[in-house]
Amino acid sequence: MLLETRGLGKSFGVVAALSDVSFSLRAGEVHGLMGENGAGKSTLIKLLTGFHPPSAGEILLDGTPVSFDSPRAAQAAGVAAVYQEINLIPERSVAANIFLAREPRQFGLLTNTRKMEADAAAILSRYGLAIDPRQPLRTLGLGLQQMVSIARVVSLGARVVIMDEPTSALAGAEVDILYGVVEQLRREGRGIVYVSHRLSECYRLCDRLTVLRDGRMVESATTADLPRARLVAAMLGRESTAGSAPGARPAAAATDAAAAAPIALSVRGLSWRTRVRDVSIAVRRGEILGLAGLLGAGRTETFKAIYGAETPDRGDVEIEGRRLFHARPAASIRRGLAFLSEDRRSEGIFPKLSVRANLTAAVLPRISRFGVVSRRRQTELVNRYIRELGIKTAGPEALISELSGGNQQKVLIARALCTEPRVVMLDDPTRGIDVGAKAEVHRTIRDLARKGLGVVVTSSEVEEVLELSDRLVVLNEGAIAGELETAGREPEDVLALLAAAEAPRA
Amino acid sequence: MSEHAAEAAPSAPGSTPRAGRSDGAWIRASSVYIAFAALVILDLIVTPGFRNPAVIRSLLFDSAPVILIALGQSLAIGTRGIDLSVGSVMALSSSVIGISLSLGQGASITFGIGAGLACGILNGLLIAVLRIDPLISSLSLLVAARGLAQALLGGARMDLPFAGPIPWLGAATISVIPVTALIALGAAILFAFVVKRTAPGHYAIYAGASRTAAFLAGQPVRATLAFVYGLSGLLAGIAGLFATARLGAADPNYIGVQFELDAIAAAVIGGTPLSGGRISVVGTIFGVLLLEVLDASFIMNDISSTYAQILKAAFIVGALYLQRAGG
Repeated sequence: MLLETRGLGKSFGVVAALSDVSFSLRAGEVHGLMGENGAGKSTLIKLLTGFHPPSAGEILLDGTPVSFDSPRAAQAAGVAAVYQEINLIPERSVAANIFLAREPRQFGLLTNTRKMEADAAAILSRYGLAIDPRQPLRTLGLGLQQMVSIARVVSLGARVVIMDEPTSALAGAEVDILYGVVEQLRREGRGIVYVSHRLSECYRLCDRLTVLRDGRMVESATTADLPRARLVAAMLGRESTAGSAPGARPAAAATDAAAAAPIALSVRGLSWRTRVRDVSIAVRRGEILGLAGLLGAGRTETFKAIYGAETPDRGDVEIEGRRLFHARPAASIRRGLAFLSEDRRSEGIFPKLSVRANLTAAVLPRISRFGVVSRRRQTELVNRYIRELGIKTAGPEALISELSGGNQQKVLIARALCTEPRVVMLDDPTRGIDVGAKAEVHRTIRDLARKGLGVVVTSSEVEEVLELSDRLVVLNEGAIAGELETAGREPEDVLALLAAAEAPRA
Repeated sequence: MSEHAAEAAPSAPGSTPRAGRSDGAWIRASSVYIAFAALVILDLIVTPGFRNPAVIRSLLFDSAPVILIALGQSLAIGTRGIDLSVGSVMALSSSVIGISLSLGQGASITFGIGAGLACGILNGLLIAVLRIDPLISSLSLLVAARGLAQALLGGARMDLPFAGPIPWLGAATISVIPVTALIALGAAILFAFVVKRTAPGHYAIYAGASRTAAFLAGQPVRATLAFVYGLSGLLAGIAGLFATARLGAADPNYIGVQFELDAIAAAVIGGTPLSGGRISVVGTIFGVLLLEVLDASFIMNDISSTYAQILKAAFIVGALYLQRAGG
């Protein structure tokens, strides 16, 4: 065994980020490391590369216990990571970057540029990379820069190469180059830890797959023995929540009524970079449409492209039959489209401001005359929504940061409702809030649909989005992978769709 | 991980930490007034001649332009930005007044203030449209506006006539209160209204509290920034007029030199945090008065200007520490 961990754990204060992970990597193996956000992948990488010391367990290299007190020590021992962000020097040549801080010297002082470039060329050609070692790094695309990073760690003598989401920033052709490099590394007998969210990629490249969830190892098997459905279930933690949520959704009466209602939101052929690919959806008045998909499937990006927070490259968005041109959040709001970000802390609340200021942030023009904000109308709105949504706060002037997560979320929902939207898009609205508040948020969302609004909602939990929505669209790698009516469906049906999704190739 | 840690605090709104926080908030909100009162009392006891109305009049004459630029500064800081150009813009306004005197004093006042507004709008456009960091754009304007001011007058000082509205502004008082100080007070009241009651003022605070959240809430973030820096330039233009009137000359080498530092210090001491999202108008005014009284105290006690600078710096650090202890 090239690299092995036994009972590895790491705690930050009282929070256990990783516990009891026994992971192994053979020479010449590509080992996929998977898991949703916060599963512990980054922590594991940081322990393996000496960034953090472990709190429990041990790391063995070639069967010998090792302890790295810095990434440099890990690198010296042959364990190195290549991160998404490249930390090389863009202005210097490819060769200089590969040999950074260990340039071949002549006369003990001067850099032997010719030797350095020749050595760099040899390394690059070994991995099938057609790169001129003399050109500055910045002239390469992001993908090739990443290959240079890999070449660097390999030339440093790395026997264990950890790749953290190597393809997330790559275009189609660059992905193939990366695959070639990985193959070559494997042939050379190096061990590769491959972190990725893309199922199809992992199934194509990896010999074994290990799934982390909530800091624990929940699955580890050879790729051939691990069907996609089981992998997805392990990542999403089916068994842990199955008991608490009712599996199948009762057929709601609202569904039939909604089927005949006019279309509230229509999206056709929406694309944004490589993150949203030709997405078309339609939501009727009174309907709740769920968007499901793994992390990185493009749920948030789809929302933001519809809302105009990102400028889509292609595609039409219509609200109640009227097309949104030059979409910007301000224009979307005026047309009756509201959006709740999944990132409440940095994209939702204004932490230093009061509940009053937070709640009315999107409607100042409506409650102003000649630019003067009417305090009376502001107070009316705030009091109304505190009452209607049952927001627990010491009062309208309380700082929003003093509220619980659930109540902050209600304030943000109220902010959206103040704009009198026709369609609301809620990106993971129950993220990070407790169970009781979750139920109330669900009730609020259903009320919105009952009042005739079109609702689009996502959740990181399949059960939740299945339970909430009338219809479900499954996204995979930015494209629609399938669609189903949720009445009478089990979470397994959604998992099956997720698992069956083939990667669209760019 | 950090998300959970941060969520934990507000989810348990216990009464004890809140009581502690409101004490702290009281100290933070009041530190400038406490410091001002303490300094005045100290001066009344130890500084000879501090009670003289002429001292108060002179102090208020000096304060009026600084109050104006500190108000603009506090709004820029409230958006989590900064405006380093205000001192140089004052000098440019002064030079423009000087070269346009031949058109009549009324016209030269208009052109001087207009030059300030133009600088502010330019700064605002650099920040809002080209998305240049306010620190950088206003720093370049600090250099460029001073240079232009000197070029306009050939680097020399230009004395003003002894009669007309400009000299009048430089001397007129009602009892011991200079007219310029009353105008500055009026401007401050108007400014407070804009900040606290109008949509553009609210937008500025929102933009300082969270740019992304403001953008996603459909707010005109960029137009707001252009407005804020334009207003700061306008106020600096008026401040340049006041300083010119008081000096009796257009002097691009003297007017507004390092005033941006006093404006920033006054705003921050007054309770407008550099992290944005909050602004205190009354606090800013008292911040200016505090610094001006401090300067006067050093001069009247014959403390050499070199040591005075050091003492002033120590005082500012002390005042800011008092605030942080509260925050």
